[in-house]
Amino acid sequence: MAQLNYRTINIDVLDPDASINFPMDTLLPATLPAATTSSAAAAVAGEVRQLLRGGDPAAALRHVLATAPLGGDERAKEVHLAAVTEVLQGIRQAEVSRVLEEVCAGADGGAERADCLMKYLYKGMASPVAGGAQSPRKSVSPQSTGFSQIQGRNLGEGGGGQQMSVLLSWHEKLVELVGTGSIVRVMTDRRTV
Amino acid sequence: MGDDCSTSLRPYLQCVRSSLSAALAISNFASQTSERHNVPEIEAASSPELLLNPLVISRNSDERTFIEPSVNSVRVSLKVKQADEIEHILVHKFARFLTQRADAFLILRRKPVEGYDISFLITNFHTEAMLKHKIVDFVIEFMEEVDKEISEMKLFLNARARFVAESFLTPFD
Repeated sequence: MAQLNYRTINIDVLDPDASINFPMDTLLPATLPAATTSSAAAAVAGEVRQLLRGGDPAAALRHVLATAPLGGDERAKEVHLAAVTEVLQGIRQAEVSRVLEEVCAGADGGAERADCLMKYLYKGMASPVAGGAQSPRKSVSPQSTGFSQIQGRNLGEGGGGQQMSVLLSWHEKLVELVGTGSIVRVMTDRRTV
Repeated sequence: MGDDCSTSLRPYLQCVRSSLSAALAISNFASQTSERHNVPEIEAASSPELLLNPLVISRNSDERTFIEPSVNSVRVSLKVKQADEIEHILVHKFARFLTQRADAFLILRRKPVEGYDISFLITNFHTEAMLKHKIVDFVIEFMEEVDKEISEMKLFLNARARFVAESFLTPFD
């Protein structure tokens, strides 16, 4: 206690009326859906997988975006992200444009689905890739000096290159369809997925 | 390099371009905490409601862009690809060279954000003084150039090392 330097304490934090203590939950709308649990998210993932296997990618995407856990806990959001990623990867490159137009251009809440998809694209890129990040390839070099010409530049993609290129191509097509406004809504919307 | 590289690079840069043009919708905003001050809110972080959701765009696990938007400033951080220790050193030296001359670059931040190699801080004063799409172009061009520069430096370094080794070993021939 004696060593505590009182000059380094930010006293604004202690004042409930200071701007740093702005109540962030007042920015959330009152109509937020009830919190979902991870088991509910897992159930949705099962339904979506069934739709995808049934050969209806548009319905799968529509369903997974409509059930996004805006008010869920972290675990539920993670499970749902995995489901969305699975759907996005399950749709073939040639079908992407058609599916997007079907899901995001409709008058019945198509714009909301587009924003939700955009949130998931960014979240998917932000989350560390399973299996890619922990590969020991990085620190190992054949010679102790680190001087090696064996691994050529750009030969091996870093971990997760495959999944990211899927997300990036979805992102490009979605921006083409709905414009940059959707990205602005991702940044400003406090209801994160 | 070649085709494979440019095909996966293009959507990445395209994504950064559209995200950055969206994030650069910033306007003048005076500080709420101290009177007659006007600071980049993303750096001050004095009011949480002024900071928007940050965006991460990644090409793979070791090449990504981090965009932190706020009401009057945007911080863009780049992580340049480093496949081995030589590239790590080259990127470090290159970033250091640039940050020491940050004044000349206007939007360059003197210290990169934790976990990234180089950061830019774009405030509303920059977007007022310069054309917005030109700032975006600059960042994209920088990303292209830095990749090219690092591979070039690595090739040059390898060639030089080979030459040195050859001339060093000539007397023993």
